[in-house]
Amino acid sequence: MTATQQQQRLSPQAEFRSGFRDITPLAFGAAIYGAAFGLLAAQAAMNGLQTGIMGMFVFAGSSQIIATERLVAGAGSLAALVAGIALNLRILLMTASLRDELVGRPLWQIMLGVHLTSDENWALMHATRAKGRTVGYWYLVGGGACLLFVWTMATVFGVTFAKILPAPQAIGMDFAFTAAFIAILRNLWKDVGDLLPWIISISCAGSLTLFAPIEPSWALAFGGVAGAFVAGVIPHD
Amino acid sequence: MTDQWILIVGLTIGTYLIRIGGYLLGAKLPATGSWARAFAVLPGCLISALLAVIVVQGSVTEWVAASIALVIAILTRSLALTMCAGIIAVWILRAYL
Repeated sequence: MTATQQQQRLSPQAEFRSGFRDITPLAFGAAIYGAAFGLLAAQAAMNGLQTGIMGMFVFAGSSQIIATERLVAGAGSLAALVAGIALNLRILLMTASLRDELVGRPLWQIMLGVHLTSDENWALMHATRAKGRTVGYWYLVGGGACLLFVWTMATVFGVTFAKILPAPQAIGMDFAFTAAFIAILRNLWKDVGDLLPWIISISCAGSLTLFAPIEPSWALAFGGVAGAFVAGVIPHD
Repeated sequence: MTDQWILIVGLTIGTYLIRIGGYLLGAKLPATGSWARAFAVLPGCLISALLAVIVVQGSVTEWVAASIALVIAILTRSLALTMCAGIIAVWILRAYL
């Protein structure tokens, strides 16, 4: 058992609050993106109620954006749905990797936990843990609750005030999540054993995006799995 | 049902099935050995892959801003500072390039 695991665990309430607080910079990014999604929803002739229900129950920003953009482009609801679902396949890998947090919990906590899993709070939980803090399920749920609230409010705000809001590109805000994931990746770095899987993931995902006739979301999932596969087959002390 | 409602209901159901499916898959896999090693590195691998996809689709502006953000991330490990540096860098580069 390492020193980290011997640390005193926070109470569920304290861990929830800590997750809620630590996600704030990312929630700020989600607010900008939510407002941008609202602009798109307005173009797709969605009203505030529809936008709010979608944000709360789908709660997967990039797939909502892709699917709604397809609808605006006139692709039809079925094609839009397929695009959105394909983009969410990476969530399968994310909730699969939450085994240690979820197994053995009551059903309602499992159902809540998987719904509140997003790229941001899932990655932040792993990054916070890699920094040496003992956080888990309630940290994830606290971050997810904050993001769900901010995301839903921002999308409804965006669709309601679509006519007067600037596009996020105009103020550099489209780069917010790229920068956030760079910081999270830096905090996920444990030791030199991470290097080979990461390089394989980056090379696979990058080259597939550039040269293969597939959607970038498939390149992402394939690259992630390729790196993890290599780590699995190579024994590492 | 309108196209909008078909999309909302369909994406809600499809996304939730993926979420719960991942949990069921993860719960069935062994907790030690190759599978455990693979799942331990999966977060870093997925985020590396995500950044690779974003960066290769971007322009010189995004490459420079991402490099600046990476330096700040390595030096500070701070989420907020890295986000500020990246956003300000991309904003300035777009204004002057």
